[in-house]
Amino acid sequence: MDMGDEDKFEVDKRSEDSLNYHSSDWRFGGANLNNTSMGSIPMGIPMTVCKGDLIGSSSCSSATMVDSFCPTPWDHPTNSQNLGFCDINVQNNASSSNTLGIRKGGPGALRASGVKSLDIGWNSTSSMLKGGLFLPNVPGVLPQSLSQFPADSGFIERAARFSCFGSGTFSDMVSPFSIPESMSPYSSSGVAMQVPQEVFVGNGSKSMSGGQSQKNELNIAEASKDVTLTVERGATEGSPLKNERKNESFVRSHDEAKQGVDVSGNESDEAEFSGSGDQEEPSMLEGTGGEPSSVKGLGSKKRKRSCQDTEIDQVKGAPQQPCEAPKDNSEIQQKGDQNPTSTTNKTTGKHGKQGSQSSDPPKEEYIHVRARRGQATNSHSLAERVRREKISERMKFLQDLVPGCSKVTGKAVMLDEIINYVQSLQRQVEFLSMKLATVNPRLDFNIEGLLAKDILQSRAGPSSALGFSPDMTMAFPPLHQSQPGLIQGGLPGMGNSSNALRRTINSQLTAMGGGYKEPTPQLPNVWEDELHNVVQMSFGNNAPHNSQELNGSLPPGHMKVEL
Amino acid sequence: MGAPTSLKQKFLKKWIMGLQICGSSKKEMGILERKKAIKLAADVAMASTRTATTCWSRALIANASKCDENKMLVEHIMGSSQSERLSVKSACMGCNKRIRSKKILGRSKSISRVKKIAPQKILANSIAKRLVKKRTQVLKSLVPGGESMDEFSLIEETLDYILSLRTQVSVMRRLANATEHSNRK
Repeated sequence: MDMGDEDKFEVDKRSEDSLNYHSSDWRFGGANLNNTSMGSIPMGIPMTVCKGDLIGSSSCSSATMVDSFCPTPWDHPTNSQNLGFCDINVQNNASSSNTLGIRKGGPGALRASGVKSLDIGWNSTSSMLKGGLFLPNVPGVLPQSLSQFPADSGFIERAARFSCFGSGTFSDMVSPFSIPESMSPYSSSGVAMQVPQEVFVGNGSKSMSGGQSQKNELNIAEASKDVTLTVERGATEGSPLKNERKNESFVRSHDEAKQGVDVSGNESDEAEFSGSGDQEEPSMLEGTGGEPSSVKGLGSKKRKRSCQDTEIDQVKGAPQQPCEAPKDNSEIQQKGDQNPTSTTNKTTGKHGKQGSQSSDPPKEEYIHVRARRGQATNSHSLAERVRREKISERMKFLQDLVPGCSKVTGKAVMLDEIINYVQSLQRQVEFLSMKLATVNPRLDFNIEGLLAKDILQSRAGPSSALGFSPDMTMAFPPLHQSQPGLIQGGLPGMGNSSNALRRTINSQLTAMGGGYKEPTPQLPNVWEDELHNVVQMSFGNNAPHNSQELNGSLPPGHMKVEL
Repeated sequence: MGAPTSLKQKFLKKWIMGLQICGSSKKEMGILERKKAIKLAADVAMASTRTATTCWSRALIANASKCDENKMLVEHIMGSSQSERLSVKSACMGCNKRIRSKKILGRSKSISRVKKIAPQKILANSIAKRLVKKRTQVLKSLVPGGESMDEFSLIEETLDYILSLRTQVSVMRRLANATEHSNRK
């Protein structure tokens, strides 16, 4: 049963979390906090991982801290991407152990749903807290849902309170705030939540002492409540998230944190919750972390949301969430399984941007995705969303590459532009090859070799201007002034590559036969201008892209940097 | 900034090598033959700069190696080590069939899936999807080896392919201009 597992998780979490938590969470924390990174972070995995850890270690009273964390991440608007990933994770993690849902796979799905609810709830709080601590993943996911989450004054207070939480494990977790946020919400509220059981554990201890009692009550009452309920609680106003698991998780986490539910108390509640089936697995904690229940729901286990809801309800007691999570969770899990491998590779590339998170993604097998508010939490749709987000990211690169594509939005139009561009480039190649064929009656490239030299040299000119190699510019003038023999002798100033190439060509030329000496002094002068212009042009266009080219096989993260 | 230039230089070097082989092998070549040889050498050189890391380069070289007469050129440009690697990698082409069958399976599944969308939106969505699908089909036909790629990798390959094409065009243009200049004298 879920409850049994969850209980175990709780215990394990406590011990593990502190270890994992700090390592993983804090890494993310830094990165996650940045809103910018959130958007681009395709993988919610780091976040989920962090969350799990956070929750586990948060066994102490970091619950309150969680609240503080949660709000901030929600602010980030990048949710879309994170959501996609979170979902996948939720699915995958659900089934597995989820100490905090970070375990790859199962919980991810849970998270996805949970994140949604959390997002909604957290948005309001996050805006209040302005911590920006929230995990990048979470922010991406959350923002969408959170924005709709009404801000609760009480919630805000609590969030503010939690932000200054500096006690115990949470303080550590809170500091980075990036990951811990996601975790913290869970931890605080997590007590009640099952999935993140570990998270919950932490939460419970944190500040949810008051909430505990409430939770208990709610647990029973909630039965059908989802994480969203918790979200509502956190926001106190919002229960618009009812259907959003994420919201629930948010609310719950907030509420719990705010209420200072005791961890111990929460644990017991969590046990209940685990049974109740907050479907989000702890692995999905990444979401707004606030809602462990949401995480559970997304997890592989298709626990009923009621369990989770009760958790959330503890704080607020707004049992309204339907138990949609269970169905979604199972689906999410399936999706998570399907997607992880393919997406993992790709997402790892994207992790480069995330910085600290990049360390985790490679280990992740699944992508933690969080469902967005108002969107289906079907495992298929979640995985599709992840896929879509990845594709849209790639399209952004293409936008920079293809001229005139910056103002175009929409896949179809952009694809159209890309097709036109590729076709035009291919036609250019054909035309130029035809031109070369006409120019060289016998494919005689002796002079070509010479030209190549000059081409290289002319390339060297602009390149040195670009800072490529100062020697090249110096070598360039002497090249033209020197005798043909000297030219072949070698240009000391040229860069290594150009030298090597030149030497190769020179050797080839000599092998083919001399006779190019005469035109040499004249050619450079003539070609120089023309080639120089061409080179400058090409360099101007290609320099930024070439670096991309060369790194073409590198993960997209590099490309982003260069762009 | 050595990276941008080195790529062009690599390409140019390989291309010149290939052209020299072509020039030395046959005595009389029609203009079209020459053009084909030039283009082939350029394409293979471009693909070899990627050292068979990208799908399109492998597909391009595989296609070029299909004709025996081109094989020698390809191998020369590629270098023996690389062509070995390429042959190994071409085995992965077989895995493309797996991808294709997976896609077919996925598509059949998606059909059975029921989506709850507002009726007025369904039409718009379906139209948009059809447009995108049509275009991805066209793009697949453009990028070498694009048939057996899923959407995501197709876009990545396109990115890489566009960059390589750009390099190719710029180098060829420069060479053509330089040749023109030299011929004018």
